[in-house]
Amino acid sequence: MDLFANLALGLETAISPITLLYCFIGVFLGTFIGVLPGVGPLAAVAMLLPVSFHLEPATALVMLAGVYYGAEYGGSIASILLNIPGTPSSSVTCLDGYPMARQGRAGLALFATSMASFFGAIFGVLVIVLLAPKLADFALLFQPAEYFSVMVLGLIAASVVSSSGALRGLMMVCLGILLGAIGIDVNSGETRFTAGIPELRDGVSLVVVAMGLFGVSEVMVSLRGATQSYAGARLSWRGFFPNAGEWRRSALPALRGSGIGAFFGTLPGTGQTVASFVGYALEKRINRNKETFGKGAIEGVVVPEAANNAAAQTAFIPTLTLGIPGSTTMALMIGALMIHGITPGPRLIAEHPDLFWGLIVSFLFGNLFLLILNVPLIGLWVRLLRIPHHYLYPTVIVIICVGVYGISNALSDVWLALGFGFLGYMLRLFRFEPAPMLIGFVLGPMMEEYFRRAMLLSRGDPMVFLERPGSAALLAAGAALLLFATFSPKQIACRIWGRKSQQGPAPRSSDGP
Amino acid sequence: MKRRTMLAATALSLAAITGPGFAQSDWPERPVRILVSFPPGGSSDLVARLLSEKLSASLGAQFVVENKPGAAGTVAATALQEAAPDGYTFMLSNLTPFNVAPIRFPDTPYDPIADFDHITYVGTVNLALFAAPSTGLSSLEDLIAAAQADPGSYEYGSSGVGSWGHVIAEHFQNVSDTELFHIPYKGSGPMRLDFRSGVIPTMFDAVPQNLPSVQEGSAIALAVSATERLATLPDVPTFTELGYDVVAENWLGVSAPAGVPEDIKTKLDTALTEAMGSEEVVAQFDNWGLVRVPKTSAEFSDYVAGQLQQWTPLVASALE
Repeated sequence: MDLFANLALGLETAISPITLLYCFIGVFLGTFIGVLPGVGPLAAVAMLLPVSFHLEPATALVMLAGVYYGAEYGGSIASILLNIPGTPSSSVTCLDGYPMARQGRAGLALFATSMASFFGAIFGVLVIVLLAPKLADFALLFQPAEYFSVMVLGLIAASVVSSSGALRGLMMVCLGILLGAIGIDVNSGETRFTAGIPELRDGVSLVVVAMGLFGVSEVMVSLRGATQSYAGARLSWRGFFPNAGEWRRSALPALRGSGIGAFFGTLPGTGQTVASFVGYALEKRINRNKETFGKGAIEGVVVPEAANNAAAQTAFIPTLTLGIPGSTTMALMIGALMIHGITPGPRLIAEHPDLFWGLIVSFLFGNLFLLILNVPLIGLWVRLLRIPHHYLYPTVIVIICVGVYGISNALSDVWLALGFGFLGYMLRLFRFEPAPMLIGFVLGPMMEEYFRRAMLLSRGDPMVFLERPGSAALLAAGAALLLFATFSPKQIACRIWGRKSQQGPAPRSSDGP
Repeated sequence: MKRRTMLAATALSLAAITGPGFAQSDWPERPVRILVSFPPGGSSDLVARLLSEKLSASLGAQFVVENKPGAAGTVAATALQEAAPDGYTFMLSNLTPFNVAPIRFPDTPYDPIADFDHITYVGTVNLALFAAPSTGLSSLEDLIAAAQADPGSYEYGSSGVGSWGHVIAEHFQNVSDTELFHIPYKGSGPMRLDFRSGVIPTMFDAVPQNLPSVQEGSAIALAVSATERLATLPDVPTFTELGYDVVAENWLGVSAPAGVPEDIKTKLDTALTEAMGSEEVVAQFDNWGLVRVPKTSAEFSDYVAGQLQQWTPLVASALE
């Protein structure tokens, strides 16, 4: 059978000791890069690119890809322990991961994310293996109208991400959308909200916003005296492992998260951050334990981690089979192949099957390495919390500044990140949460771009969104979600309860997301 | 006596430092920065990395690629203008920040000609007009006839308002007396995705990244905007040979802030020219679809100024 022949061919490439070694180097580096807030896979892959000049193309790609998906494993570690995401796509993991750590369940949260990451990644790889040639066609079914509708669905789902009340969440989403409007308008070419600063013409980078809102502001909050008392509990190995109930609670959410992640990964340009946010938001809608979300629900770390890892794997499909990179890091993967005279595109699988299938099989090895690497490290990571804050937090700020500067070698990005840190701090003082703002920032500009493009193509006829079946189905799902939210008795109870708690004494803002 | 010796020694060493021979023999003494106006991974970035590797080997100092993307390349060009003209900062210059952006953004803080020394010409990437097979169009004349029969019915994609694809497309419509409907994108990637899925029937895009689709048959190149047919698309006519004066060259070169000592420029130009003559670099350039015609330093300088003259009215009219 074709499938087995392909896998056998891939195994041949992936199992050579040299490839395995570089695969390990890649995922190892990726994990550590992921842990450091603000320093992302882009910087690591860019630094490794010259090394790849001297490697076989398959080996080079295996290593660079390892850095890319390895970073998704590491990204959640700082989210859970410090409330500071290592990568933008693990921002949402803060929402339940950090409360878990404060309850002394940091080890459990880290174990759950490792397992969920592994599960999501393997799910993504299986999707690629079983559907590889069809997946590219699937991405092509999505036209501007469908992209717009999927963003609408995402935003509707996102309005529940906030645990401080729907209105506050909605305000933050809108602020995020406004921030996303900074830069050159795609349709007219006019600059918007740039205050005449050329560096803002391309908008603000996602990493800058995420690191400022979550990372820098968390450090500022800690200046007011965060406690460390939660660090010690459940440090024994037994405490890391989920009990039977926790396994059971996590299984279905992990599957749903992986599915959502695999779906978003195949759409170029949406990526892991959208996948993790939408996965979390939808789960919060349908999970039986939704009241516990935001207060340390294990599902709240399992879903986004399964989603962003599944997306990291399936994102290779449009990159390799269409030659269309979904992110700058993916553009670097294409660059690594171009150095060796291979232009990724529709003929890649046919012309270089050993390279394509070798890479896919290497994903399996790489994720196995990551699991073996990450689980024993949990004890070490948890001990990070014992580092006195007056050493830890200045270090975090330095790392964030270095990482943010590295995005495009611009000092202006560092100032912006610090500015967003101050904004995030002010918002948290007034009990607004940064998570809905971030998702507004990510989805808003995309929604606008696809909406206007669909309208251009239909010459101004809005019916295009209802006439295309895919788009209509997605909009119907969004409408159902809205109705469900409005009329569910539980939701109403929740909102009344939410009001009450706002009138009570304001808790310290370090209790935030 | 002793004092006189010392004076002589001082004078000699001063002569050694300030003399004309100094830079010639000693440059480069420390790492040299090559600014690139794109994020890592694109073909221009790869060109910069390949050349800096060759220069590091031949000139004996690290040549470091520094990506400064943003604002249509003007962030990198502004950084270059502000750098000291001491031979330690160069840029992989290209069409957009020097010939397009200064016209599009009147507040661009530099003069693309007077503020820079354009030293070495690297090569050129050309633009082509592609049609999807589903349109049934097989030649440029087909498209022109179809577009004239029903003005505005055919969409074309470009990689953004004010991008070279957009400017050239507007110019093409003027000279061919057609009206196409513009769909702008954020870069070439999303445009190629929509082109492939049948959202837009035609697009103006750089040739190299579309070669796999042309070979596969999922994109038809109607015409290329080069002065003569491309080696990579020998069967595709140029706009010029079909009677339309549409030429667009996204040139790459190496530029410096104005005022770099002549001997450094000469040394760099010699080393670059030698590197680009090597078999390995020639093969890579062919691979990436970079067309190279040798130009001297002076010719390149004139070329950049000539391109600015040529693009100014086109950009202005496209943005009207």
